Amino acid sequence: MTELKGWLLAENPDSRTQAAFGRGYLGWLRFYHNPLAMIGFVIVLTLLLIALFAPYIAPEGISSGLTGDALKNARFLPPSAEHWFGTDGQANDVFSRIVIGSRITLVIVALVIFTAPILGFIIGTVSGYFGGWVDILLMRITDVFLAFPKLVLALALAAALGRGLESAIFAIAITSWPAYARLARAETLTIRNTDYLAAAKLQGASHWRLISGHIMPLCLSSLIVRVTLDMAGIILTAAGLGFLGLGAQPPTPEWGAMIAEGRDYILSYWWLATFPGLAIFTVALGFNLLGDGLRDVLDPKSGGQH
Amino acid sequence: MKSLFKKARHLAGATSLALALSTGTVSAATPKDSLVVGWQFDDIITLDSAEAFEFSGSEVIGNTYDRLISYDPNDVSKIFGQAAESWTISEDGKTFTFKIRKGIKFASGNEMTAEDAAFSLQRAVILNKAPGFILTQFGLNETNVKDKVKAIDADTLVFETDKAYAPTFVLYCLTATIASVVDKEEVMKHAVDGDMGLAWLRTHYAGSGPFKVEQWKPSEIVVLSANQNYWNGVPAMKNVFLRHIGESSVQQLLLEKGDIDIARNLETEQLKSVEDNKEIKLIKKGKGTLYYLSMNMKDPILAKPKVQQALKYLIDYKGLADTVWDGRGQIQQAFLPKGFLGALEDQPFSLDVEKAKELLTEAGYPDGFDVELIVRNSPIRVDTAKSIQTTFAKVGIKVKLIPMDGKQVLTVYRARKHQLFFGTWGPDYQDPHTNADTFAKNLDNSDDAKSKPVAWRNAYAPEQMTKDTLAALVERDADKRAAMYLAIQKEHQQTAPFAFVMQEQEVAGVRANIDGFVLGPSFDSNSYKDVVKK
Repeated sequence: MTELKGWLLAENPDSRTQAAFGRGYLGWLRFYHNPLAMIGFVIVLTLLLIALFAPYIAPEGISSGLTGDALKNARFLPPSAEHWFGTDGQANDVFSRIVIGSRITLVIVALVIFTAPILGFIIGTVSGYFGGWVDILLMRITDVFLAFPKLVLALALAAALGRGLESAIFAIAITSWPAYARLARAETLTIRNTDYLAAAKLQGASHWRLISGHIMPLCLSSLIVRVTLDMAGIILTAAGLGFLGLGAQPPTPEWGAMIAEGRDYILSYWWLATFPGLAIFTVALGFNLLGDGLRDVLDPKSGGQH
Repeated sequence: MKSLFKKARHLAGATSLALALSTGTVSAATPKDSLVVGWQFDDIITLDSAEAFEFSGSEVIGNTYDRLISYDPNDVSKIFGQAAESWTISEDGKTFTFKIRKGIKFASGNEMTAEDAAFSLQRAVILNKAPGFILTQFGLNETNVKDKVKAIDADTLVFETDKAYAPTFVLYCLTATIASVVDKEEVMKHAVDGDMGLAWLRTHYAGSGPFKVEQWKPSEIVVLSANQNYWNGVPAMKNVFLRHIGESSVQQLLLEKGDIDIARNLETEQLKSVEDNKEIKLIKKGKGTLYYLSMNMKDPILAKPKVQQALKYLIDYKGLADTVWDGRGQIQQAFLPKGFLGALEDQPFSLDVEKAKELLTEAGYPDGFDVELIVRNSPIRVDTAKSIQTTFAKVGIKVKLIPMDGKQVLTVYRARKHQLFFGTWGPDYQDPHTNADTFAKNLDNSDDAKSKPVAWRNAYAPEQMTKDTLAALVERDADKRAAMYLAIQKEHQQTAPFAFVMQEQEVAGVRANIDGFVLGPSFDSNSYKDVVKK
C-alpha cells in the first residue's frame, strides 16, 4: 500500500502513465478531503445503484393493476410501513414509482451530457481556432440560441416536437449546447496564439490535428466541470418539462410528471407531490455538490495548489 | 403555443396558492349584497348569444338574457314562456306563434317587442356561427329566414319550420342560448360592415335578463349587476363577481377562508375534504354531459365488432364510479343522459376480463394489441383514461395514453385520426334528437362529408339506425317517440363503437350562508337570480 502510494506520489515520475496516475491520485485526495463533495458523490453513487437495481428494490412496480373495490380501498393511502411513500389515485406505490423513475432521470441526464457538450465543444473550438468568418457565423448561430431563456426555448421545442420523453431530451440538448460552445471558444482563444501551437503548426500539423490533439485536451477539464455543474440544471429542466406535461407520458413515473399529478391533491394528500419533489431536490443537490468538488479538483487554474 | 400559456397560467395559479397560504388566518367575508364565485371560465370567447357555444359563455348569457321559452331546471319536461308569454302550434305542426310578454325592458331602456325576438333569431341564422345549426335544422337559411321568422305585430312572433317536427323538439331548441332575445336597436347601432353587431356584442351587452354584464376581462373576471327593472323579480344580489381561478386547490382554499362564496371547480378529492366543513355545503346536479370511450372504425382492429364488445367489457365502471367519479358522476351506458325523453338506463356492461378475453380470442387477438388513446389533459379525464389503461392491460392490450390540450384533442378527433378517444359530449338542447343526431346518424361517411357528427368521427355509418333517427325526429306522439329512442339506444349500446361510461354530476361548493343558487341540467340553466345571503 505504502509502496503504491509512494509510486503515485513520486516527485519525479518515470513515465507519463505514472505522472497521470499521480495527478489523478492527488485529485482524489483533494476530493476525498472535501466533505461536501463526498456527500454529493455518495448521493450520485446511491442514485446509480438504485437505478441499476430498481426492479429488485421497487416492490410493486409502477402500476398496481387494481380495480373495483380493491382499488377503492388501496388508493390515497398515507405513508406507512407497507407503502413507505403512500399510494396514489390508481393505488400505485409511490416509493416504487420513484425508484423506477430514477432510471428515467439518469437516462435523460446521460443522453443530454453525451450530446450537447460534445456538439458545443466542437463548435466552440473550431470557432475559436479558425476565427474570421467561421467564428462570426458559428457565434451568431450560438447567439440566436442564447437569445431565448433556456426553459422557454425548451418548452417551445418540446411542444412543437410532440409530447414524449424523446422530444424532451432533444429539447434540452438543443438548448444547452450554446453555453458549452461559448466556454470552449473562450478557452481556445486564450491558447490559439501560444508558441507550442505555432511550433506544432510549423511542423506541418493539420488543422484537425491541432484542434483535436492540442486544443481540445486543454479545454476538456473546464468543460467537464461545467457539465457536472449543469447536471442539476438538466434534471430540473427535465422535471419542469415533465411537470408541464411535455415530457414523459403516463404511466411513466417521471418525477416531474409525478409532481404535476400530485399537485391536484396537494391539500388533501401531501405525499403525492412531496416525495418526488424531495427526490428531485436530493439528486439535484447531489450533482451540484459533486460538480463543486470536481471543479476544485479539475479546474486547471487552481491545478497543483494543494 | 396556446398550451404554453395555459401551463403558464397553471404556474401562476400555483403562485397564488402560495400567496394565499402565506396570508394565513386573515379572512375577509364577501360583501352582503354581492356574490363572489370562483370558477374556471377561460373557455369564454364571446358573450354574443348567436355565437356562444362554450359552457361558461352560455352560463353568463343564461343569466343576463331572456330566452323565448325556458324549462324548469328540476324537471326538464316543464316548459314555460320567458320572453314569450304563451304560444300556439298550428294544425299542420309547422307554424309556431308566440305572444311576447309585455313590459320587458332592455338594459338600454328600450321596450322588448316581437320585432326584437324575430331579429334575434334571424340574426343567429344569418350569422350562422357554431350553434347556428340549432335553428337552421328547421330548414331556415339566410334567404328564407326573414319570411319564415317574423313579427306580424308588436306582440306576435311567427316561427315556421319546413317539416312537421315533434313539437317538443322545436320548443327545446328555442330554450337554447341561441334563442336569447337581443335589443335590436342597440345592436344595430353598433353594426359595422353588415356584421349585425357581431364584433360589438362579443364583448358588450344588449339584453333584458335578471343581471346585466358590466365587465368581462377574459380569464380574469366577469362582473354582473342586478337589473333593477327585471320583470320577474329583482335579484337580491346587487353584484355578482365571477372570478377566474384556474387552480382548483386555490378555489378550495379561498372557499374555506370565505374569500369566495361559491367554488365551481372542486375535484373529487377536494369535495371529500370540504364535505366535513360545517361552513360549506355541496350542491349537486346531474348534467346531461356524457363521458365516453370511442373507437375509430378506420382502424382495422377496432372496426371488428367483437373487439368493440370486448373493450366495453374492459372498463371498470363500478370502480370508476367509486373512486375517480365518486360523487361526481353516475354510470350511464347509452347515448341519452338520464332525465331525457326515452333515455335507456340498462347497464349491460361491467368489468369482465374473462368474457373480454374470449371475445378477443374469437376476433383473433388472444394476446391483445397496441393502441393509442387520446384524452384532454384534465384530472378526471386523465384519471379515467389511466384506469382504462390498467384494465385493458389485463388482456394484453397495451394502451399508449396521450394527454393533450383540449384544442389539440378536438383537432385530431374531428379529423378522425385517432384510434381510441375518451371525452365528453354535452347535449346542445334538451331534446333527445341532439344526441341521436350525433351518435346514431351518419348520412355520409366519406372523408370529405359535409356534416361530421360524432358517428362520422369514428367512421360509424349504420344505415337503418340513421333512418330510425330521422323517423323519430318527426314523430309527434311523445310516448311513441320515447319508445323509438329506446329501441335505437338498445341497438346502439351493443353494436356501436362507443362505450358510454359516466354521466356527469356537477358539484359546487357553496358557503353555508348562501341560498338559492341553482345548478340546472345544462350550463345555460345555472342561475344566480334567486341567491340570497343570510
